[in-house]
Amino acid sequence: MASSGCWKCLARPSGSLTSQLALRTPGVSAAFSTTTARAALPIKAKKPSQARPALKAKGSKTLRIKKKAPAKPSGKPPMPGERKAMRKRIVLSNTNALEVPMMDFNEHMVADPTMAGKVVALPGEVVDSLRAVEAFKVNQGWGLFRKPALLLREESAVLGQKMVAAEKNKEAVRLVIDGERGSGKSLMLLHALSAAFLRGWIVLSIPEAQDLCNASTEYAPLPGTNPTIYTQNVYTANFLAQIQKSNSVLQTLHVTKSHNLPIPLPEKTTLARLCELGARDPDISWPIFQAFWAEITGPARPPVLFTLDSLSFTMGLSAYRSASYELIHAHDLALVQHFVTYLSGEKPLPNGGAILGATSRSHAPVSASLELALKQALEKQQHGEIMTKKDPYGKKYDTRAEDKLKSVEVLKLKGLSKVEARGLMEYWAQSGLLRSRVDERLVTEKWALAGNGIVGEIERGVLRMRI
Amino acid sequence: MPPRLIFFRACRSLAVRTRSSITPSQPRILQVASRRGFADEKSPKPATGPNQDVLGSVSQEAADVGKVTGEEEPDLSQGTPVQEILKRDQEGQEKAPEVIKEEMDKKVADPTSIANHVALRQMENIAAGGELSDTVELGHKYELPDLPLPPDGNLKYRYDPVVSQVTNLLMKDGKKSVAQRNMSYILNYLRTAPPPSTNPARPLVPGSPPASHLPLNPALYLTVAVDSVAPLLRIRALKGAAGGGNSLQIPVPLGLRQRRRQAFQWILDAANKKKSRGSGKGQFAQRVAEELISVVEGRSTAWDRRNLVHRAGTTARANLNYRVHRKK
Repeated sequence: MASSGCWKCLARPSGSLTSQLALRTPGVSAAFSTTTARAALPIKAKKPSQARPALKAKGSKTLRIKKKAPAKPSGKPPMPGERKAMRKRIVLSNTNALEVPMMDFNEHMVADPTMAGKVVALPGEVVDSLRAVEAFKVNQGWGLFRKPALLLREESAVLGQKMVAAEKNKEAVRLVIDGERGSGKSLMLLHALSAAFLRGWIVLSIPEAQDLCNASTEYAPLPGTNPTIYTQNVYTANFLAQIQKSNSVLQTLHVTKSHNLPIPLPEKTTLARLCELGARDPDISWPIFQAFWAEITGPARPPVLFTLDSLSFTMGLSAYRSASYELIHAHDLALVQHFVTYLSGEKPLPNGGAILGATSRSHAPVSASLELALKQALEKQQHGEIMTKKDPYGKKYDTRAEDKLKSVEVLKLKGLSKVEARGLMEYWAQSGLLRSRVDERLVTEKWALAGNGIVGEIERGVLRMRI
Repeated sequence: MPPRLIFFRACRSLAVRTRSSITPSQPRILQVASRRGFADEKSPKPATGPNQDVLGSVSQEAADVGKVTGEEEPDLSQGTPVQEILKRDQEGQEKAPEVIKEEMDKKVADPTSIANHVALRQMENIAAGGELSDTVELGHKYELPDLPLPPDGNLKYRYDPVVSQVTNLLMKDGKKSVAQRNMSYILNYLRTAPPPSTNPARPLVPGSPPASHLPLNPALYLTVAVDSVAPLLRIRALKGAAGGGNSLQIPVPLGLRQRRRQAFQWILDAANKKKSRGSGKGQFAQRVAEELISVVEGRSTAWDRRNLVHRAGTTARANLNYRVHRKK
C-alpha cells in the first residue's frame, strides 16, 4: 500500500490527505512563496450529494442478483486431528487379497544370500514392533496385501552379513544406504530393523529426520553447554515411548549404573520402566535418554541398532533459530548430534551393533557435502581410491557434515535383478493383485520399463495400475 | 570413403540370363520380399502388375520342372546366382570373367545360405545335447507376434477402454497426469474396500460376475458400475415442434461411449456433492470411489437419474416418427 505521506520526507509523515491535495491544486499555493502549503486553508470536501447525482429515478426497477447463501455443512464435522489421523493411518492388511503360502522371516534368513528373490512374511511380533517405531510408511502399499511381507534381495543379504559380523565381533557397522528414488532404501532400513528385532538387538529408529529438523517440535537450549546444544523434549519423550513399546528385550534388562537424574530411581528398575518414566515427563526426557544410552552401551548388553531415514535433513542448517535469530545447525540438536557422533565413529559401540542412515531422493534437501561424501566413499569401496575431488569453488559444502561423514560406508542400491523381480511379481500374482501370467516376457518387459528394475517403478507400473 | 568395389555383384548384373525382363539391382532381397507372405504363405498373391506375370528365372523354371517331375528343386528364396546358371551352361563357363572363374574354383559355401544356417542350427542342437536328426526351424531374431493381434495390441488403444475413457472424464484443466493418479487411487480403493452387497431392486448389467469377484478385478468393478447405470437413450428437445411454442421430446439412442460418458457424469456429480472426510490429495478420488461402490450397491442418485431418463423416453416414444418438415 502506498503511504499517505510524502515519500521524499519519510521522517515526517504528513498529517492528512488534505495537505497533499492542497499541494496539487493549482492556485492554492502562492506562486512565489517559501511558506509551506500546510499554511493554506484545507479544501472543503465536496458534499456527496453534489458529487453523485441520484442515479435512480423514482419508481424505476434495477437488477438485483441475490447472493447465494453458502451451503450449510450437513452432518458432523470431523473432530480436531481426525483428518490428519486418517491421512497418516497405516493399513497393513487387505482382506480381499488372497493368502499366499510363504515362510516367516527368521534370524537365519537375515544373512542368507541364497534367499535372494524370495518373499517372506514378517512375523506378528516383529510387525507390532515395526509399527511402534513407525517403520511402515503410508505410501508403501502395505494395505494391498493380506499381510506384510518382505522381498529378500542380494543387497539385504550383504547388509545382514555385515550385521551378523558386527554382532560377533562387537563392532559397529556405520553405513549410509543410498540409491535412486524408489530403489528400496527405506525398505532396506525396514529389513535391518526386522532383522535386529529377530536377533534380539535393542532398536532405536528415527523414522523421518525431517520431523527433527524442520522446526515442528518444541526445542530448548540445554543449560551449561557451550556451544549451545538444543534438546527437543517432546520428541525425545515420544522417542522413548517408541523404544519402550518396540523393544521387548528391555523388560529383562535392569539398571546397573548410578545416574544423576532429576527423579529418584528405585533399585532394580528395568530399562523399559526407565523409558516409560522419560516418556511420561518431557522435561526430564533428555537426561533419561542419556541414562538409557549409558545403560545399553554398558557391559554385557545386546547389540544396538540405531537408524535414521532422510539423512540429508541432518547434514546442514535446521529450521530452528537461536536466541540471536540465527539458524541452528542440525548437529547442534541433541538427538541429531547423538546419532551423528556414532555414525561418524567418534564414539564406539562396545557391544557391537549398527548405525544406519538412509538418504531420501524424492523430498529432501540436497546436501552437497553428503553427496560428495557418498560418491567418494563409493569410489573408495569400488576402486580403492578417491577420484572425485571437492569443488574448490563450491560454496554449498558444510564443513561439520563433511567431518562426520569422512569414514562412513555406503550401500548403493541398484535395481532388482530379474530373479528378484520375478519373485516379487509372482508374489503379487499369487495375492491376486497382478492379473496376468508371470512369464519371462512379462518380467523382462516390466523390468526394462522400470529403469532396469527400480523396484518402486515396477510397483508403480504393475501393482498401482498407474498408466 | 569410396564405395567398395564388389566384382561379384557387378558381374552378376552382366551375366547372360535366358529370360529376365527387369534386372533387379539386389535380386536376392527382392526375391525374398516379393515372395514373402504376411498372412497366408500357401496361396500366393495374384500378379497385378504388367511385368509380374512373366516366366520365372532359371531357378524358378527349374523349380517348376522339379515340382512336376518330383526331382530336387532349387531353393527359390535364394534368388538366382550367376553360378547356378553357369553350372548348366558349359559355354558360359568358359567365357565367364576371370573373377567368376576364380570364385567357382574356390567352391566356398555362401555363409548366408539357408543350408549354412541349417547346418549351424544342427550344430547348436548337438551342442545343446540333441541329435543331428532333430528338426531345425529357422526362426526369427525377434519372434513373430501371435495372430490375431490382441485387442490391446494397438499402441493407441493399449489400455482398458473404460479405464482410459473415465480417466479422461476425471481430468480437470487438462491435467492428465493428475487424472491418472486419481484413477490409480480409485482402482486401489476398489481393490481394498470390502466386497459390495448388491441390491436386487437395482440389478447390475447382465453378465456381471458375483460381487465377491469384483474387488480383485478393479477395472471390471469400474466397468460394471458405469455400465449398470448407463442410460440407453437421451431426450432431445425439438424447439417449437410440439405446437404452441412447446418443445417436442424425442428419444435418441446413445452409443456405447456416449452411454458410459453420461453415466460417469452422473457419478461425478454425486461425488462432487459429497464432503471429504479426511485431508490430503486423494480426497476427490476417494469420494468418486465411494460413489462407484454405492452405485453397485444401488444407493447412488445416478440410478434415479437413469430411471428418470428412461421414463421420459417411454413417454416420448410416440414422437419417434416425427419428421421435420422443411419449407422449400
